[in-house]
Amino acid sequence: MGRKSLLVSPELCIGCRGCQTACKEWNQLPGSKTENRGSFENPPELTATTFNRVRYVEVASSSGDPRWLFVSQRCMHCGDAACMNICPSTGAINRTADGAITVDKTKCIECKLCASACPFGTPKFDAQNKLSKCGMCADRTASGLPPACAKTCPTGALRYGEREELIALAKKAGYAKIYGENDLGGLGTLYAFRDEPKLYGMDEKPAMPESLIFWQNVLKPLSYLGLGGALALSLVHLVAVGPKKDEPKNDEPKKDEEVNKNG
Amino acid sequence: MADQKNARVIRKANAFEILNHWVMAISFFTLSATGFAYLFHIAGVVSFFGGPMGMKTVHNYAGLVFAASLILTIFSYLIEALSFSGDDMKWLMKGGGYLSRNAAVPPQGKLNAGQKLVYLMVLAAGAAIAVSGLYLWLAPEVKSRTLSMHFLHNAAFDVYLMIVPFHIYLASIASPGSLRIMINGTVPLEWARKRHAKWAARMT
Amino acid sequence: MTNHWNDFKNADVILVMGGNPAENHPVAMKWIMRAREKGAKLIVVDPRFTRTASKADIYAPLRSGTDIAFLGGMIRYILDNKLYFRDYVTNYTNATYLVNPDFKGPGELEGLFSGYDDATRKYDKKTWSFQMDEAGLPKKDPKLRDTNSVFQLMKRHYSRYTLERVSSITGTPKEKLEEVYKTFASTGAPGRAGTELYAMGWTQHTVGTQNIRAMSIIQLLLGNMGIAGGGINALRGESNVQGSTDHGLLFHLLPGYLPMPTASVTDLKAYIEKYTPKTKDPKSVNWWGNRGKYITSYMKAIYGDSATKDNDFAYAWLPKPDEGMNASWLMLFDKMSKGGFEGFFAWGQNPACSGANAGKVRKGLSTLRWMVNVNLFDNETGSFWRGPGMNPADVKTEVFMLPAAASVEKEGSITNSARLAQWRYKAAEPVGQARPDSEIMDELHSRVMALYRKDGGKFPAPITKLTWNYRRDDGKPGVDIHKVAKEINGYYLADVFDTKATPPKQLGKKGELCAAFPHLQADGTTSCGNWIYCQSYTQKEGKVINMMARRNAADPTGLGLHSGWAWCWPVNRRILYNRASVDPNGKPWDEKRKVIAWNATKIPPGADKPGAWEGDVPDGPAPPLADEKAGKYPFIMRADGMGAIFGPGLADGPFPEHYEPLESPLAENPMGGRQRMNPAAKMFYKEGGVGTDDIFANADPKFPLVATTYRVSEHWQTGVLTRHLPWQMEMMPQQFIEISRELAREKHIQSGDRVNVYSARGKVWAVAMVTERLKPFNIKGATVHQIGLPWCYGWQSPDDGSGGDSTNLLTPTIGDANTLIPETKAFMANIEKA
Ligand code: HEM
Ligand code: SF4
Ligand code: SF4
Ligand code: SF4
Repeated sequence: MGRKSLLVSPELCIGCRGCQTACKEWNQLPGSKTENRGSFENPPELTATTFNRVRYVEVASSSGDPRWLFVSQRCMHCGDAACMNICPSTGAINRTADGAITVDKTKCIECKLCASACPFGTPKFDAQNKLSKCGMCADRTASGLPPACAKTCPTGALRYGEREELIALAKKAGYAKIYGENDLGGLGTLYAFRDEPKLYGMDEKPAMPESLIFWQNVLKPLSYLGLGGALALSLVHLVAVGPKKDEPKNDEPKKDEEVNKNG
Repeated sequence: MADQKNARVIRKANAFEILNHWVMAISFFTLSATGFAYLFHIAGVVSFFGGPMGMKTVHNYAGLVFAASLILTIFSYLIEALSFSGDDMKWLMKGGGYLSRNAAVPPQGKLNAGQKLVYLMVLAAGAAIAVSGLYLWLAPEVKSRTLSMHFLHNAAFDVYLMIVPFHIYLASIASPGSLRIMINGTVPLEWARKRHAKWAARMT
Repeated sequence: MTNHWNDFKNADVILVMGGNPAENHPVAMKWIMRAREKGAKLIVVDPRFTRTASKADIYAPLRSGTDIAFLGGMIRYILDNKLYFRDYVTNYTNATYLVNPDFKGPGELEGLFSGYDDATRKYDKKTWSFQMDEAGLPKKDPKLRDTNSVFQLMKRHYSRYTLERVSSITGTPKEKLEEVYKTFASTGAPGRAGTELYAMGWTQHTVGTQNIRAMSIIQLLLGNMGIAGGGINALRGESNVQGSTDHGLLFHLLPGYLPMPTASVTDLKAYIEKYTPKTKDPKSVNWWGNRGKYITSYMKAIYGDSATKDNDFAYAWLPKPDEGMNASWLMLFDKMSKGGFEGFFAWGQNPACSGANAGKVRKGLSTLRWMVNVNLFDNETGSFWRGPGMNPADVKTEVFMLPAAASVEKEGSITNSARLAQWRYKAAEPVGQARPDSEIMDELHSRVMALYRKDGGKFPAPITKLTWNYRRDDGKPGVDIHKVAKEINGYYLADVFDTKATPPKQLGKKGELCAAFPHLQADGTTSCGNWIYCQSYTQKEGKVINMMARRNAADPTGLGLHSGWAWCWPVNRRILYNRASVDPNGKPWDEKRKVIAWNATKIPPGADKPGAWEGDVPDGPAPPLADEKAGKYPFIMRADGMGAIFGPGLADGPFPEHYEPLESPLAENPMGGRQRMNPAAKMFYKEGGVGTDDIFANADPKFPLVATTYRVSEHWQTGVLTRHLPWQMEMMPQQFIEISRELAREKHIQSGDRVNVYSARGKVWAVAMVTERLKPFNIKGATVHQIGLPWCYGWQSPDDGSGGDSTNLLTPTIGDANTLIPETKAFMANIEKA
């Protein structure tokens, strides 16, 4: 079995937000007090208690009808997950066999590094400051159930399955761009777009922060390479040159006598 | 001249400096160990330090101790480390005499040029690691800055990892007789005259 | 629904008008999207660009309340361009019939049909009749040329609906109209299927019934009735609205759409005589000809052994409203507001928010001495006495709250819009003191019985003689809902024989559950609580089968009939009028989408002659129409067996005509004539009178904005269920109003601002949602703005009042001329930044 993914097809999405409710229900997340800000969209962003939400994008057109795009948003379950790369805590962020990026809150050390690393602004923190985000319903998928959001989606705008099959399906349906097919090691949340991702409010070229890449590829290895190198050089010196030979031999004084005049 | 039985020694570090050095060394090793556990997810280390949150507490408070200790070293070493002379340059040119067994080096002060440099690097890297560490600890919400602080913390860590082994090697095996400075604070006068002639001269 | 939810996937063109499935029936969109994936076109016509519109291939805006103009234009387009399905129209509809030459239409009579009486606001329908031949059958012109033929009359009537005129009424750009017409009319070709989906956007108008009639005409012209992917599909507003309507929810109907007898119909014979349609045409099945069997079996079901031939099957015990009495919603609350009631059961409803002109409703509630509020939660109705503008000290009404179990806390059937009765099981115990409705009713019954036993009564039999044996057999408290379901299905009360067969064939054994309604008898040997549900809970070879609990998902035809899944009325027929999906020889019009087909060589089980239908359950087993002796017309529920293009049965005209809503921006009907609004709609208030609750304001500069109300996916009806759910409230926390950028600019309103919304009757606040999705209309050369507000909020919850209050405080007291469904989808209002 290969990697599994969630395919989001905004073209099939009717913005009913069954997914939003289903996610809260399955993950037992509370609803928060919000207010209408002149839009259908609510809550205004992902939160520690909102793992997914639908963004409502209204696109005006001078001539014809407006367009109203519904984009279901959640953790992207990146193939190369910045959050997981940066996370210093052992076992706090994990990748399941299916490729989902999950959180073990008991291991999270509340450092919030993941939030600064994630290219999508996904990580949010609960009242205990623990990372709280979509885990692709790993507790469902482990027993063969689709994620709650995908299960609820009435139109097939959220489909869960073998990643390769989903990509093939979307391509067959004629989608010009499968967002996330290759970016960041391939996203686990794929999007089937007909237009430019920008139109849907997506980053055209999501990427790992550069400093993170440098850290990952240089600084991190350098820590043991540097240490190892320094130790090795010392050893070489010891063998090749050896310690300084200026010790007074056979001179075992019984008692030291300080002769310092001043410090 | 003292009795044959009583070696003539000269005090290089006072009790406070010795204590501070060991505080620093221990906090440093703690920090490095936990730091490595962070970087490479070494489960054994994590559980040794009482699990993820326990280790975080250890790391962060050890960090505070390390930072305090670093600040205290300033009183002991900074002025000396900043006083560079022509002899220091020459010393450096000759690689501190470490490149061969019989190299002769220009006379040095209480700290030789290498030690001065190491200290300055430790101080600089220490400042960087402490500031960035404190930042990561206390204000990780400002995301863009967090990443640079994380970077700095690690860069400084790398610097440490490259200097500290040399420091330890040079201060122990490579330079017999040095280690005792950090134990009882004194060195034999003879030794001092060879290694820190200027200082020894000043002292006697 | 004539068809069913899954069937949408079979359509080539789907017209959504008067509905918003993406928001209110999201699962319907599954099938719509399936159709689209196969290349179908989705057309959405709505004043607002809705979530459904976002998925449309063609979106056409129209001003609220102008659907008939829009559809009238489509009829004209189809006729002018000869896009109708001629064979279908001539064989299966009354287009060929000749109408009384005295009949006149609105084009000739100043906007009225012949026979109108101003004083009573009623039509005398004498001239709305067909010319009959000597045999008593309607005269026909199969060539459709006779000037008095329905076809020609229709053509004349709709010739007035030119593109220009329609566009100036609806505000829909002409190109859009043409695009929609052309696309939908393309389904007139045999082998193409077009369906229409509507909901409250069509019914809640003074012309609600005629909106649907107009579409029926189109669907008949295009040959879309009875076929897979066709039909006219009412998307019901609640999961079990269909079920409650089937079981006699409406005041004028007994279960199974049997008319409620009126006081003048004094005995069963008179009842059957009055309500049984007749035909002299041997080719017409005239299914309602069986009325006598159904009413008798019904009486046996409710009165059991007490209903005998000798006492006229207890017909006298049925309640009978006075002649002409109307007990529909608006009338009840009108009467209540005048102090006409002492008590009121608000059972599973929230009229203080859902009722049109809710301010009047709320005042009406305060005239009651007592009220029982049966609901899951307290609501604006139960708490009306402490609501806005009420002084609790002045309200004398005693309110009782009976907490009810939610649908998942009890077992039973739910009938969805597709007439599909599905059995559901209890998932959780009711919370606290809540009890299933059936148990509340059962207890009410036993207490009333106790009172009768103790105190006697004037006329106790109708109550005391009711069969009421629904308690569980195991001695535990509560109702065994299976007993109710079985009573609805009905029993053979004696061994029943088919006497027409020789020798008589036994149909059923005494004491067993009835197999299907063709077995029902008028002699008291069968009982049936609701004839259309006969077969829902049945018995095969002695074994009792709950057909509604079936879960076989097989779909051998690929059309999504799923005949083994649950059970659907009538007799598990998934597509109504399916005999119209075949030509007179029984060959499907559309070979790709065969609903039924006549197999002339197959011998059906138990028969001796060859010839059988294959596919869905046909509308009757009779051979196809072309069969000289036994062939039957397809529309079996109509006396003449024909699809009605000319519909004399309605109160407001045999052809739909555009009338303005009660409140509109226009002082006159742009169709011409003197009749601005529906002439047959009951008026609760005359224009120009002094202020009452029923006040309205037409073409009034104080209220220049066309307003409509609607629901959103996130809330359920008035929100009694969803406003207590933090998840739903989080998504849709507050009353909002959608307005165009143009109107926002005019009124200096920004998105997110709070605005006050006024109508002649009331005021609410709302958060402004300034959007591209609403655009000003050009109506007869003037700019007219449309606004829209959901009606799912109320003052009682959330209890900090942050949600707002019901937009029905704005809507008028007026209803459809035929059904009195309130006109909440088109009224006039104004807004102002708060
Ligand atoms: C004032 C001093 C220090 C403070 C406040 C501090 C704080 C931190 C914090 C907050 C983290 C992130 C994980 C966590 O929340 O615990 C961290 C990670 C780390 N620290 Fe420190 N630290 C300090 C000094 C040091 C020193 C002296 C070393 C090593 C010589 C060190 C090595 C590391 C390493 C290797 C990491 C893991 C980095 C990563 O995964 O990004 N730290 N430190
Ligand atoms: S989207 Fe962010 S949080 Fe999710 S896997 Fe990618 S980097 Fe991690
Ligand atoms: S906040 Fe938790 S999950 Fe995120 S990086 Fe830190 S330890 Fe890992
Ligand atoms: S996969 Fe599960 S956790 Fe993630 S958004 Fe969907 S329902 Fe929520």
